[in-house]
Amino acid sequence: MTQILQFLMLPLVHLIVALIAILTFIALNGLILVYVERKVAGFIQRRPGPFEVGPHGLLQPLADALKLVGKQLVMPRGADRILFWVAPLLSFAPVAICLLPIPFGPYLLGLNVNLGLLLVLAFSGLNVLALCLAGWGSNNKYALLGAARAVAQSVAYEIPLLLSVLCVAFTCGSLSFVDITASQTRGLLSWNVFSQPLAFLIFFVSALAETNRAPFDLPEAESELTAGFHTEYSGMGFGLFFLAEYSYMIVVSAVASVLFLGGWSGPFFSGHWWMLGKIYALILIMMWFRWTYPRVRFDQLLNICWKWLIPLSLINLLGTALIINLVR
Amino acid sequence: MDQLSGIHPAYGLYLVLIISGGAVAVLARSLVRALSGLIITLFGVAGMYLLMAAPFIAFMQILIYVGAVTVLIFFAIMLTRTSEGESGSESGSVGRSFLGIWAAAFSTLVLAAVVVRHMPKAIPLKPEASMGRLGEFLTGPFALSFELISVVLFVAMAGAVLLGFERRKAK
Repeated sequence: MTQILQFLMLPLVHLIVALIAILTFIALNGLILVYVERKVAGFIQRRPGPFEVGPHGLLQPLADALKLVGKQLVMPRGADRILFWVAPLLSFAPVAICLLPIPFGPYLLGLNVNLGLLLVLAFSGLNVLALCLAGWGSNNKYALLGAARAVAQSVAYEIPLLLSVLCVAFTCGSLSFVDITASQTRGLLSWNVFSQPLAFLIFFVSALAETNRAPFDLPEAESELTAGFHTEYSGMGFGLFFLAEYSYMIVVSAVASVLFLGGWSGPFFSGHWWMLGKIYALILIMMWFRWTYPRVRFDQLLNICWKWLIPLSLINLLGTALIINLVR
Repeated sequence: MDQLSGIHPAYGLYLVLIISGGAVAVLARSLVRALSGLIITLFGVAGMYLLMAAPFIAFMQILIYVGAVTVLIFFAIMLTRTSEGESGSESGSVGRSFLGIWAAAFSTLVLAAVVVRHMPKAIPLKPEASMGRLGEFLTGPFALSFELISVVLFVAMAGAVLLGFERRKAK
């Protein structure tokens, strides 16, 4: 028994086990979120949502997944043979790395790195690149337009996102998720959302834009661009983009709960259930947004960012730095 | 030979990434493929930083260069694409490829000669510098160079804006 424990404590073995666990979580989460999103959409629009496959439509996502796996993979003529297939993989692969440094519980942690926050920010930026390659490689005007929108949107919204994250890094004095969580375990009021409410709002709005969720889903606006950057993808090519989007929702919500909502710590019975609860609460809010607000226009999207979020986050950052200096 | 056999496997991997990425960037006909070669190279360089116990620089490299700079280059490629397809993909004549091979061989030979003559000794790896110390260095002893770099960046940006306006006036 001790030998098995020692074997599990080896760094490489630990990493592999963590990766397998994360990939399983991502797959399960994809199935759950597909069902939840359709149900939430149904309830908000006063209809039952999926109801036929299984009790209350519970097996619907499984049927959808089987359909996606079984579909033929088609590549349009004139598409870039390599980049067209690299793009969905590049979109999905960084997710596993992004979830590695996030502490889901006191001991439930893939990789404890000092620069965990930076690691997540660095690798989540690869998604834009994947969207660009997909849009360009498809040899399709809608896809290219979607890619162009994705670039403008994510380059703009990355700035307020980073600035709001910096505020938390300033107050906690660390870029490690473990340290940031540890600084918020002294009860409910020590959560950063109470000391940095503006940063939390800016982070959440920017995160919605970075994950291309409605009302900022312009890169795949179905009423204008058919499906934007993934117009030409069928079967699992589309499936991977879809899975990546849902997984980035998890990454974003997990980072938000660690940075602002105390991570796995709660007012009572601290543990990973608190973390999961916070993640899915944030995701439900994202879904609620999607079915409540209409999609913004492109100029509105950029105006919100450059005229509101960036100045506000700059002021917030300067104020935070000033207060920290005064307190010290 | 002892030194060669002691190459860290990760070092070899990053070396292959850097060189193959560079080859793709130079040889690819399409600009976007060349750009993806550049991205592979940048990843390899980030890995090298990791090996040198500088994870902060490595992640910054990925965040800024891979996540932002290449995306902007991609944007530029999309904006400047002409109707006849990719620009700059003219096929090289035999003479040109001969010149290219000659230039590559010459620089490789010179570099190899220098390396063989003055083989650098392996320096023992320094411990990872903490973020706090990095910040103190950047705002203390290296403040001038840090500020100068930002001035250079600012000048470049202002110049780009100026050029853009002049171009628009000419039309």
